[in-house]
Formats: sequence, structure tokens, C-alpha cells
Amino acid sequence: MSSYKPKVLVVDDEARFRETLIKLLNTKLIEATGAESGMEAIEKITENKYDVILLDVRMPGMTGIEALAKIKKIDPLLEVIILTGHASVDTAIEIMKHGGCEYLLKPCPVDELTARIDAAYERKVTRTKVKAKTP
Amino acid sequence: MKENFSGRSRFVNYLVPLCLFAASWPVGRTGGALYALGALILAGLSFFLFRHLVHQINQAEQRSCELDEQLIQSQKLAAIGELSSGIAHEINNPLAIIGQEVEWLRHLFETSTLQEEKDRGEFSDSLKQISSQVDRCRDITHKLLNFARKMDPVMQAVELNRLIDDMAALVEKEAKLNNINIIREFQKDLPLVTSDPPFLRQVILNLLNNATYAIEANGTITISTKDNKDGRVEIAVADTGRGIPKEHLKKIFDPFFTTKPPGKGTGLGLSICHGIIQRVGGTISVISQLDRGTTFTIRLPIAP
Ligand SMILES: Nc1ncnc2c1ncn2[C@@H]1O[C@H](COP(=O)(O)OP(=O)(O)OP(=O)(O)O)[C@@H](O)[C@H]1O
Ligand SMILES: [Mg+2]
Repeated sequence: MSSYKPKVLVVDDEARFRETLIKLLNTKLIEATGAESGMEAIEKITENKYDVILLDVRMPGMTGIEALAKIKKIDPLLEVIILTGHASVDTAIEIMKHGGCEYLLKPCPVDELTARIDAAYERKVTRTKVKAKTP
Repeated sequence: MKENFSGRSRFVNYLVPLCLFAASWPVGRTGGALYALGALILAGLSFFLFRHLVHQINQAEQRSCELDEQLIQSQKLAAIGELSSGIAHEINNPLAIIGQEVEWLRHLFETSTLQEEKDRGEFSDSLKQISSQVDRCRDITHKLLNFARKMDPVMQAVELNRLIDDMAALVEKEAKLNNINIIREFQKDLPLVTSDPPFLRQVILNLLNNATYAIEANGTITISTKDNKDGRVEIAVADTGRGIPKEHLKKIFDPFFTTKPPGKGTGLGLSICHGIIQRVGGTISVISQLDRGTTFTIRLPIAP
């Protein structure tokens, strides 16, 4: 566990937000890469293995909610943390419907984000183990 | 509401003499007194019944008035809710970037002496980002405040053609650089319009800015004015730009709806236009064809 770095995909349409967050997460021993849209995120998820997805809600093209539904279909064990500037209750309810994800409001200090990512990663590890044991 | 109310009480005023008249109707010599008494009781009864009814209707009306009030209030709250979550979103994003840049600066400070070219470059890059994100927040708050401050229009006589011409001249120089022509098709003897000039200037400017953005380069914007001969004048701003997809048409007047990349547009332009035009008693509408162009049409009352 100590040598393994959680793999994180940062999905956000703001280039600068993505880039700096990736740099910061990398200093916190998290292996982060970026995707600028829901479409790109889905492509990357089908091709590579990730542990945690950080997902923005308001993006042009596919919204985060739509992406979330598709991501959960591709890999139900993937942990998703919604990281958004949008405080709408409706969105939160919509997200709850898709289950199994956290909701964080921007701006969020990187330390807190790192803690959430670590927790999400551990959840994923446990769930994967449970799933492997059940026949 | 008041009109209705007085209308009904006038009805009551007619009823009283009518009842008295009915009661005093001659019903023959024999048993006349009895009939008269019966008629009087009937008239009295119907009078009280009627008054009771009127009272109930009034009460119901008052209740529905209160309901209306509540509805307006809850609509207002909903609008505030929607607006504030929009503002929160638009401000939280630049704030998030600022926060991260600060953390990155701190990281640079802790891990390097900032002697190397690369570190210095990153340092100044972060500072630049912070300042541009502050600009972005300021743009939003200033636009909102500008709009909020001037709640009530100050009406005065406006020479629309001249006002529009001024605004066209303002964007013309930059438009020419991108080979965008602005054509004026003004009706010559357009009547003076009573309206709020600074408000109207802002609307025309927003529409012209949107039009140039939609064209990008090589195209025309046609601004026309005409007297509709129905107490209204019409201003049309037509562009040969990219057009608006059908699914966006109903959203373009919503605050914060924008298709511009993050940080490039507030999405407030058209919602401010809509708000202004409503306040000066006009209407604004749009027709658009994808890849062909878009026309915004404003109709303004000549006298408010
Ligand atoms: N003339 C036009 N042609 C094509 N699309 C338009 C036109 N005018 C507006 N739109 C669409 O409507 C959206 C909202 O316009 P609005 O003026 O409210 O905000 P904006 O232009 O995006 O941002 P800002 O006004 O702050 O620069 C635009 O992003 C664009 O998609
Ligand atoms: Mg605009």
C-alpha cells in the first residue's frame, strides 16, 4: 500500500484548474492525470485503470451527471468525487441517485481533497476485496 | 382588484330599491297585506343572502390576493436561489484556481530557492493566474452590481438612431479588423422614444458584442430601426454568425448561460438585456438559423 500511488483522473473543463491540481496532487504522492470533458474521461476510463475520479458538474457537451452515470456503468467500483462550484440542491439530489460518490464544493483546500481521495481509495480497495470473496 | 370590488357594491345598491319596489308592488285588495308581507320577507331574505355571498366572494378574493402575494414572494425566493447558485458557481471556480495557485506558490517556496529559471517562471506564472482570476471575479460582480444599482429606469426622450449609431461606432473599429461590416438601415423619420438611454446603450452594446463574437471574422451585422405604426418602434440586430442551436435557444436569456470557454464570458449579457428591456416596457425576441445567423429584435413603446 505504501508504495502504491492512487490513480486519479481530474475531469474539469478549466485547463488551469486541472493543471495546477494535477501538479499539487502529484506532490502529495497521488498519480493524477486530467480530462477536459466527460467524453474524454470516458475514453480514458475505458482504456486505463483509475481508482478515483474527480468530476466537475457544469461542463460543455456532456454534463458531469451524465458522465457519472456512464462511468458507473463502465466500472461500478470506481470511486467518484464530485468537485464543483455549483451548490444547487437539485444537482446534489441527482448525484445521490447515481449512488456511491462524494460531493465537494469548490474551492477545496488540497489537503482536504487529498484526505478524501485517500479515504475513497481505501473504500475502493475494501469493496474490491469484498467483491472478490463473494462468489 | 379595486375596480371589481366597487363594481359589486354598486350591484348591492341597485338591489335594495329593487326589493323595496317589489315589496310595494300592488297585489290586489284582498290579502294584499299578506302578500306584501311575504314579498317583503322574501326580498329581505334574498338581500341578506346576497350580502352574505358578496362577503364570501370578497373574502375569497382577499385570500387569493394573499396567495398571489405568497406566490410572488416564493417566486422571488426561487429566483434569488437560482441566481445565487449561479453566482456561487461562477465565483467558486476562479476562487478554486486562486486557492490552488497559492498552494503551488507555497510549495515552490518550501522546496526551492527560486534561483532557477524554471521555478521563477512558474512563480510569475502563478501570480499572473491569480490576478487574471481576480479580474474574472470582478467582471461578474461589477456586471451584477451595475445592473442591481440602476433598478428604476430614468425616462427621457431618446433619438434611437443616434444612440444606436454611437454604439455601432464604438465596436466598428475592432470589427473592421476582423473584416466584419456593420450596416445601418435606419428609418429616417423615426419618432422620438421615451426610454432610458444608458440602459438602451448597454443593451445595444451587448447585442453587438455577441454578434461580433458569433461571426468571429468575415461577416456583416445589420442594425435596423423602424416605426411599427402601433405605438412601438423596432430595433433589429442581425448577424451572419454561427447561429444558435435549437436546444440553446430557450436558455440564452438565463443568467450565466454561456457557450464561451471558462473565464471568457459571464453569460450575463443577454439576461441583463432581457431585464432592461422588460423594465422599459419593451420586448426582446430572437430567431436563429444554425451556420446562417441570428437576429435579435427589440420592440419599444414610443411612450411608456
Ligand atoms: N448573436 C449570437 N449568435 C450566436 N449565439 C449567440 C448570440 N448571442 C448570444 N449567443 C449565445 O448565447 C449565449 C449567452 O449570451 P450572453 O450575452 O448572455 O453571454 P456571453 O456572451 O456568453 O457572455 P458575456 O456577455 O459575459 O460576454 C452565448 O454564450 C452564445 O452561446
Ligand atoms: Mg454576451
